[in-house]
Amino acid sequence: MSATGGLLPSGFEPLEPFVESWAIDGAANRAHRRLVSNEAQRIAFFNAAKDLLPAGLAYLDRKPLEQFDEKEQRLMNLFLSLGHVAQAVEIQGDDEPRHALGRQHMKITRASADLP
Amino acid sequence: MNAQAAQFQSTPGPDELALGTGPIPAGPYYRPEYFDLEREAVFKRTWLQVGHLCELAEPGSFIVRSLEFANASILVTHGTDGKIRAFHNVCTHRGTQLVAEEGGRRSSFSCRYHAWNFGYDGKLRAAPDFDRFYVDKAQCGLPEVAVDVCARLIFVNLDKSPAQGLREYLGPLAAQLETLHVARATQFSEYTYEIDANWKLTYDNFQENYHLRFIHPRSGAAAGGPENPFGYPENYALHGLHRTQRIWSNPAPLIKPFQGYAFGKAAEAMMADGLADCPNGSEYYALFPNFFILGSPMTPFSHCVMPLGAGRSRGVIRLYWVGPDDSASKRFAREFQMATALDVHAEDRAVIEAGHRGLSSGALEHIHFQSQEVLCRHFFHAVNNMVESYQAERKAAGGVA
Repeated sequence: MSATGGLLPSGFEPLEPFVESWAIDGAANRAHRRLVSNEAQRIAFFNAAKDLLPAGLAYLDRKPLEQFDEKEQRLMNLFLSLGHVAQAVEIQGDDEPRHALGRQHMKITRASADLP
Repeated sequence: MNAQAAQFQSTPGPDELALGTGPIPAGPYYRPEYFDLEREAVFKRTWLQVGHLCELAEPGSFIVRSLEFANASILVTHGTDGKIRAFHNVCTHRGTQLVAEEGGRRSSFSCRYHAWNFGYDGKLRAAPDFDRFYVDKAQCGLPEVAVDVCARLIFVNLDKSPAQGLREYLGPLAAQLETLHVARATQFSEYTYEIDANWKLTYDNFQENYHLRFIHPRSGAAAGGPENPFGYPENYALHGLHRTQRIWSNPAPLIKPFQGYAFGKAAEAMMADGLADCPNGSEYYALFPNFFILGSPMTPFSHCVMPLGAGRSRGVIRLYWVGPDDSASKRFAREFQMATALDVHAEDRAVIEAGHRGLSSGALEHIHFQSQEVLCRHFFHAVNNMVESYQAERKAAGGVA
């Protein structure tokens, strides 16, 4: 943890190990990360992040989005990735590999989170 | 099956009976020669949704859309006079495609070939060494395309003199569309797909719920319930060429915990923005020929199925939002809503392609629609009536029908 510490706002240290893989800019990139991830990675991230989401959004909601510092933006991007990963873990379950075959043809060309 | 379930056995209504109950010919769903007729009879003379006013927010902004069925590229502009106009994206000098970008802002449009320069009104403003031509500038404006707006949705019609204006074409649905989320939307999320399937096979998939429990057993688990296992709509209605269904309100949808939390965030944002009260929030509109829009402020998506050929189509799905992301919660909710809708749509593609492969083998003379596929039946007749009228028109004019 010490090697990667300080990447996220205080209180969200349990998510530091997931920053490199899941704190991703761009909705299409987040969807792609889900496509190329494996089940163990998805489950580990989902289990670590889901219970921190309410507190995390409450924390981030205190500030306008455009004023986020780097740590806050990473936390935001983690939660946005969680929105994709939750589909895999909670909804698709063991069908996720088959589901990915169809999903790879869907191209996100614009997303609200990417707009200025 | 209880009494409530029996109601979803759907006794055909008078509108449905007028459409008949017989099998439907298979050929129109794959034959290239039928598609060639559709290009002329349907797509080149019908209002087609191509964009939304939020893409043309500022005077001076423009979008370009490809209409492959006509080998056409359409330039839609928002003039400094506030007017929305549409043109063929073709320089009138020697036909070079004028604008290469998909959209943006510009004060005028210059052809890269010989620098002919056009204004937002399509007029030729300037052309180098023009005195050497044998034509007036006034005759060199960009070819206009009919354009109109309903509910901030932009429609074009390639017919030089459309038989009906857009409002007349949409009929009473125009006023309903104006009550939807999309009529106030300022931005959208979008995803697209291409598919090896006829546009009607693709479109039909999204106007029947019979397949939901088989193709979407997990992502669509909330769609059905014990009293309505197939998640059939509460009601269907036919409106000339168009059709609607009212989505069944599942009293006890199966919602997973994280999903429930995320939908709660979406509902919070919707309430905060005053968007919850939508009189047509359960209506799902199928606007002829190739456009869907769902009234639900929770999942405010549209879906356009554009034909690229007899056996290839492109789907464009948008979720429309009112106002920017102004909090982390709203941003999260919108991303989750997009991911949810995308997961469902991603599940349909393979089976639609399998349908096209099966039909295009020529193995079947006919296909069959049950009473809960009445919108597919209506759609077939709407298209086929236009094709037959076009053939009769050609025959009367002495052409080859």
